[in-house]
Amino acid sequence: MSELKPRKDLLDIESLSLEEIEYVLENAVPFKQLFQRSVKKVPTLRGKTVLNLFYEPSTRTSSSFEVAANRMSADVTNFTVSSSSVVKGESLLDTIETLQAMRSDYIVIRHQAAGVPGIVAQHTRASVLNAGDGYHAHPTQALLDAMTFREVYPDYAGRKVVIVGDILHSRVARSTSTLFHKLGIEVGVLGPGSLIPEGRHEFMTRFRSWDEVFDWGPDAVYLLRVQMERQEGQFFPSIAEYHKMYGMNGARLVRMRELGAYLMHPGPVNRGVEITDEAMGYEKSLISTQVENGIAVRMAVLHWLKPETQQD
Amino acid sequence: MARLFQNGSIGSGDSPELRKADVLVGDDGSIEQVAEGIEAVAEVEVIDCSGCLLIPGMFDLHVHAREPGAEHKETLASCAAAALHGGVTGLVLMPDTAPPIDTGNLVKSLQDLVSEVSPIPMLASGCLTKKREGEELAGFSGMANRGVAMLTDSDRSIGCPDLLRRCMEYARDFDLLVTSYCNTPALTKAGAINEGKVSYSLGLPGIPAISQEIAIDRDIRVAQHTGARLHVQQISTANAVQAIQCAKDSGTLVSCEVSPHHLLLSEQDIEGYDTSYKLDPPLRLPADVEALVRGLLDDTIDAIASNHAPHTEFEKSSDFASAPFGVSGLETTVLAIHDSFIRNGTFGWDLLIRKYSDGPRSIVGLDPVALRDGESANFFVFDPEATTEITREYLQTKSPVTPFLGKTFAGAIRETVVS
Repeated sequence: MSELKPRKDLLDIESLSLEEIEYVLENAVPFKQLFQRSVKKVPTLRGKTVLNLFYEPSTRTSSSFEVAANRMSADVTNFTVSSSSVVKGESLLDTIETLQAMRSDYIVIRHQAAGVPGIVAQHTRASVLNAGDGYHAHPTQALLDAMTFREVYPDYAGRKVVIVGDILHSRVARSTSTLFHKLGIEVGVLGPGSLIPEGRHEFMTRFRSWDEVFDWGPDAVYLLRVQMERQEGQFFPSIAEYHKMYGMNGARLVRMRELGAYLMHPGPVNRGVEITDEAMGYEKSLISTQVENGIAVRMAVLHWLKPETQQD
Repeated sequence: MARLFQNGSIGSGDSPELRKADVLVGDDGSIEQVAEGIEAVAEVEVIDCSGCLLIPGMFDLHVHAREPGAEHKETLASCAAAALHGGVTGLVLMPDTAPPIDTGNLVKSLQDLVSEVSPIPMLASGCLTKKREGEELAGFSGMANRGVAMLTDSDRSIGCPDLLRRCMEYARDFDLLVTSYCNTPALTKAGAINEGKVSYSLGLPGIPAISQEIAIDRDIRVAQHTGARLHVQQISTANAVQAIQCAKDSGTLVSCEVSPHHLLLSEQDIEGYDTSYKLDPPLRLPADVEALVRGLLDDTIDAIASNHAPHTEFEKSSDFASAPFGVSGLETTVLAIHDSFIRNGTFGWDLLIRKYSDGPRSIVGLDPVALRDGESANFFVFDPEATTEITREYLQTKSPVTPFLGKTFAGAIRETVVS
């Protein structure tokens, strides 16, 4: 593979070239193989520091980055900022000053406001890894989804994925669909009309029912998490109705089996909402694989990005 | 000392033709003579205006000078300096200061401040409702006695249609102009940017076009019902232009304004999360921009108003959703409009003069200004051959936040002359 131009930050999927995507996805494979060994660590980032800066609670993503950094032998600091203690946005520049003074080499950041990782990246020499910003982007989620999909479908181009749920408020839907589109995978969407915005990516084909989806013949069904506290009553009448209309249940599993379609979910899963207990046991569920691949992909990203802290 | 502006060409709102003439301004700041070939005599300063235009001073209906209460963003003095620097020789101050201008006494205090610091008229406006809270009528009669230019809750739409109706009915008897900043809060919510493809791809909460359009429709209906005069601020969509046009066609006493930014920029111009594109109302679609320009040309739109809304660079440097709405506009409006429209012949100086000088003055009951014998000097010297780079150093406002920062415009304002 030819040499890539060094990249400092991973902020979104849109700005990645196909070469960069291939580079990360291919490098994630040997990292994943490492997990089978008794010693799961490599010394690549020994002496480097990774700051995990989470403005939104997220045990899963935060832990995944922490495990990835540990397996690269980096020193990890976890820094969780409860949103109540932050006057939203106003102190951002001051926070960046503080971060810069900590001399971290990598900053993993999750923030409730879209664009914040980009602002941090502009003001620091550390590599910034966007771990989710508002509704905007979640690039490592997209990369781990692509890795997972490609493992089960080495001939992934031209295959079909339907994303089910809240397309409007989902950074996962934005980033994963963009990456799948870049890889030549067709993307459909299913969900209540109130959560499927008119301004969505043009390549997203809209379906109105599971019947339409199954007639289309997806190779994988990607369920999004329902934000229950925020949406019930505002965007759809009730959780029960959502579950009935869009949830994955036994009857729909029958069609899934007929198609041989895989099931994906970014976690954490709301059992009984977007998916039934029965469907959680589906033999072609990739949900655990996604978690495992998340660590491998994040290691590959840490390996790939080049902080500008060395010249300090 | 008297000053003679020699060899320039004079613009007016009446004709696209520019008239070659010299202008002699006396010691007292009044125009003594406008004629070709005025001889320079001793004791007269001669300003060579060859190739330059002498354009009547502009009037901006929509300015937030931030004083009193937020002098770190702008003061009356810095705002007046910025206005003059941009060729603007009169303006209307929005009442959303701290405290909000909602009584006759507060209007008086503001007028006193203005007369101390400003070389140009900065007309006070007053709130429609007490503290702009949309609950109770503000002190209309006291403010009317002090001569407010208009009543507006500045950036806030009155939520209750009944209260709006009572405002209009009450204002009618004082012949006060009621102004609406049309927005439907239940639709705007925490929106930061036009709702559409750009809001989706940036993952920002959107403000749908119907948020403004529904409010305009409603406010026009209330104006029709009450017979009050209504001025609609900052229209931003094609449907808004159409609604105003229909209202005018049916004889409603309605006027409206558009910002230079909405005439020049669409959501597609927004660069990443650059908050100097965060405006209220938001930048819309290219088709809306076209409709707004057409509306200006066919006189549906009565005025250009900058919505000069200064904030510090620090305040605007936060994330897009949290950053305040608004940018500076007083110093870039003439330059930007010339650069994008006049230079390529979309329209002439006469239209800009009608929409940014005569029209807005007429909306608040002022006579047009013109370069004529016996009038007070009130014009600026524009050099179409020069260029102007918009830099922090160039700007005299305290807030260098504008989407035009770093851009170079054709043309330069050499000097603004007021008596």
